[in-house]
Amino acid sequence: MGAAEEFAKYLDKYLGEVPDGPAGDLEMRRRLPVASIVDTTDESVLRDDLSDDEIDSWTGYMAWNLWELLAKRATEGASGLIPRQEYETISFVQMWATFPRLIRELTKELGAEGVVKLGATPRHEYSTQVNVTRHFGTPMCTLVGRGIAVNLGLDKATNRREDVETMVQFCRRLQHGAWGGGPGFVSGRGFKSDVLEPGIVNQLLADETRLDDPELRTAFKKFNAATELFGFLMHYDCRAGLCDSGPYDVPGGGFMLVRDHQLREPAFPWGKIGDGLPWSVTQAMVYRPTEPIDVRINDISTTFTNPTDYHRHLSGIAVYARDTWDTPMSEVRRLDADELVAITDRVKKATLDLYKDIASKDRDQKIRDGILVYSTILMMPYARTVPGLWESFVENGFYDLHEMAEAAWPTLTGGEAAATLAPVFILGQGFPSVS
Amino acid sequence: MATVETSYRQVGEGQNVVEHEPVEGPCIWLDTPEDVIDFVMGPDVEETIVISRSGSTTFVAPALTAGVKGLITLEGTKECHLGIVSREFGIPCVMSVVFKEGVTTPQGDTVPADGTILRLECAGMPTATVLAKGE
Repeated sequence: MGAAEEFAKYLDKYLGEVPDGPAGDLEMRRRLPVASIVDTTDESVLRDDLSDDEIDSWTGYMAWNLWELLAKRATEGASGLIPRQEYETISFVQMWATFPRLIRELTKELGAEGVVKLGATPRHEYSTQVNVTRHFGTPMCTLVGRGIAVNLGLDKATNRREDVETMVQFCRRLQHGAWGGGPGFVSGRGFKSDVLEPGIVNQLLADETRLDDPELRTAFKKFNAATELFGFLMHYDCRAGLCDSGPYDVPGGGFMLVRDHQLREPAFPWGKIGDGLPWSVTQAMVYRPTEPIDVRINDISTTFTNPTDYHRHLSGIAVYARDTWDTPMSEVRRLDADELVAITDRVKKATLDLYKDIASKDRDQKIRDGILVYSTILMMPYARTVPGLWESFVENGFYDLHEMAEAAWPTLTGGEAAATLAPVFILGQGFPSVS
Repeated sequence: MATVETSYRQVGEGQNVVEHEPVEGPCIWLDTPEDVIDFVMGPDVEETIVISRSGSTTFVAPALTAGVKGLITLEGTKECHLGIVSREFGIPCVMSVVFKEGVTTPQGDTVPADGTILRLECAGMPTATVLAKGE
């Protein structure tokens, strides 16, 4: 078998053996020494200590989950604008070097039960950064950073066991808050991320405007696409500004997806390009399909459907704006058709402005910008829920590049990022055993 | 009345991202961010089929917002974010296309020469074909 065929085998199934989707979830549970660790209970999330088998089982499942997210995108290639693989890999190492201690500080402030309560935020809020994506992403990226550091010889798998434990339990506490128990990963919940409470779902459905007017349909289509793309660019070619939840059942048939697009981030030096836009917009999208549609949402809150063109069944919408990150939910406002058009026009201009800004930077600056994006958006949303904590993190060198990340820089920016990521993401080598 | 038959030849094939009626227009190869900026600031953006190497979204972001007629990439799959976004925009997109003929870029890729009239036959899944107008 040639190298290309061998690689294709690993893209088709995890380790050439475990499928994607719900069948893969079941197979991984069957293989894990302690399968119950990927579920959460009141008791199991509050304790601080995990056994080696529990840690290895949980990270073993995470390795499959990460493969499930990324294998089909493995041939995407380099951006041409943003050196994403380079900044991602260094960000992960930076996070492994710094995040576990900060998460312990956060946990000390909130208590384990407070972290669970924080994890419940996406049940009663939309357009929030404290969402299912980050509940997964913050611990995942930190632990992948460990895997990269070990692969590069910058750390040993048996070092800092307590830091792995910290990140696993942080994730499980957040998951427990979001789901209230049972499977912690969206991949274990049949790839349904229907996290919003019924009262909010019912309110979104009650606000639905039918898309009978072709002009409104066209305006919304442009709004959805343009804001999604801008949120993606604002976050340097990553999905951190986007979040889908659902599918939620619609009375009479059909389903609803709820989609957040974050359009402005004052914490980024280039965030001013989004001035004048809401901090985030949320789209409740109601579909009444005339054919069966399989809807799956993964742990980074991305929707995939079969057949793929689900938008042709879009039947109604309700769109909202949250003007700042801490705007109370009671003050989130609905957007009318004129505002959709105005925001779309503003976003189109901002997209080109931001693109020109990024294109004008040299490669190293883009990598440093990307590290700033990942570091900020995976820590700040949690830390700033404790008054003064995020500010204290920043004052105490949060944005200083750790010596481990500095040590990884030459290799990861010297053309080795892709070669480093392939075994970590695709071959399951991102989560070496702690024992 | 005499009829004028237009002839096409297949020059490439790739993964179809979204089912769409065929589209046709002159193509342009965008190699650098500066190429992208110059293109979207110029004329005929909405009539043009863009060709880029990567399956990544951000490289062609302004072209997507400007509403190009079609998009072809040499890399990527329909599950990539570019596939997702082009579907949201309703822009026909064919990914991981291998061209059988054309000009060679400085990086060694074979792509149709700028201005070649291309037709994307993208009504079916999972494959779309790329045709070039003329003998």
